[in-house]
Amino acid sequence: MKVHQLLCAAGPVDAVTNQGLAWRRQFASWGWAGEDYAEVLAPGMDRHAIRPLKAFRPGRGEPVLVHYSGYAPGLERLVRPPSRFLVLSHNITPARYFWELEPSEGVRCSLAPAQLMKIAGRANIAAGVSQFNADELQTGGVADPDVIPILFDRSRLPTPAAPPQGPPTVLFVGRLAPHKRQDLVIRAFGLYRRVHAPDARLVLVGVPISSDFEKRLCRLAEEVAPGAVSFENAIGADQLHDRFRSAHAFLCLSEHEGFCIPLLEAFHFGVPIISRAVGGIREVVGDAGILLDAGDDLPVVAELLHLAVSDPSLRATLAPRGEARLDHYAAPRVATHMRTRLEELAAG
Amino acid sequence: MTEPAQALARARAAAAAGRERGLYEEADPSLDASPVTRISQTRLVEWSLIAPDIERVYSTRRLGAPITLVKRLLIRSLRQYIGEAIAQESRYNAQATAHILNLEDRVRDLEEQLKKRSKPVSGAPDGEASGRQLR
Repeated sequence: MKVHQLLCAAGPVDAVTNQGLAWRRQFASWGWAGEDYAEVLAPGMDRHAIRPLKAFRPGRGEPVLVHYSGYAPGLERLVRPPSRFLVLSHNITPARYFWELEPSEGVRCSLAPAQLMKIAGRANIAAGVSQFNADELQTGGVADPDVIPILFDRSRLPTPAAPPQGPPTVLFVGRLAPHKRQDLVIRAFGLYRRVHAPDARLVLVGVPISSDFEKRLCRLAEEVAPGAVSFENAIGADQLHDRFRSAHAFLCLSEHEGFCIPLLEAFHFGVPIISRAVGGIREVVGDAGILLDAGDDLPVVAELLHLAVSDPSLRATLAPRGEARLDHYAAPRVATHMRTRLEELAAG
Repeated sequence: MTEPAQALARARAAAAAGRERGLYEEADPSLDASPVTRISQTRLVEWSLIAPDIERVYSTRRLGAPITLVKRLLIRSLRQYIGEAIAQESRYNAQATAHILNLEDRVRDLEEQLKKRSKPVSGAPDGEASGRQLR
């Protein structure tokens, strides 16, 4: 069988791009052919792995998997018969997070929901990577959307090590973007460091949405925790795994997430998770992390960081639950689900 | 074994005690990435004047330093033309921004005048004021 994939944008360290590449490897393991395309190719992206969207010429009736993550001009013209489409919604960040700091991104985010509903309405199968995303599709008028979660292949990750030694280390992994609220992560960490652990470190891994936003985050970090925060945006997979291994807590204060793949990585490495319960996070974390209520402020987060670092029994409670969450998202199960849907699509 | 709910309860209690002791006071942060429904006037004015950063012109290839150098030299060699393009664009942006701000001022003035005209004449309490008295 031949299955093509369309992405709105592709970059060397983009989560949705990595999903596209992971699915391509999975398809190849089943002996399926096909090519991958993206509307925007970021600098540094391998143009042999993912080609420009304008080169997309599907054969009659060939299944196409569309990974929707943002506005892509002209995409609605491509999503139409005779090809057969599965539209998988990853997440659209609300535009309000970008107007002040990155307005061009705000424009794209404000155009995306209508485009998604248009192509999802036309697709043969529509799905979200989480129930949260599927519910958004349903609210937008798409009938009976499926849930096909992230393909998370643990076998590609190294074996987790024992709980880390060394100074308390807090980690967050995600694009440096306003809705991820790294500003709050830095401030909560600053309070924790001041009150409980003067030698603590914060590691923020992620590509900045703009150099201006990165500079402003760096300035804030120097104000509240001078010399204790490191920003890492060009690290490879091995280095990322090292960051998880040396982390005592994973802190996510995002205000909007469709799924948040680093949560699964934190489970794999046994790192306790403290997170807001927003978007798809509640269903991904379940009972395997500490989910904040809307009323919990930064001092509560600082105290939770202290507990995550200093209370081994909390880590011991959460670790097996994290394993259970990973079983829920086991790659073979997700892959079988996707295969069933794509074969249905091919069969017409 | 500590349950997440127990950890939360302990953290809330400790945070409340810490707040009472003044442990958690913070200076105003220099960055607040809270969502907004519109761009502030200050940002609009800032962005109206274009100032591209030459540091953002670079090669993403491995060993791309010579390519970066060539790209930047090219920009330098065209600086008169690029400078003129930036000046023209900034002039238009600044005029358009000034026009928008002027319109905002006029709308605000008109709204205030409208509010004054629709005020009760006899000094009788308006809905909100009388509601407050009832409470």
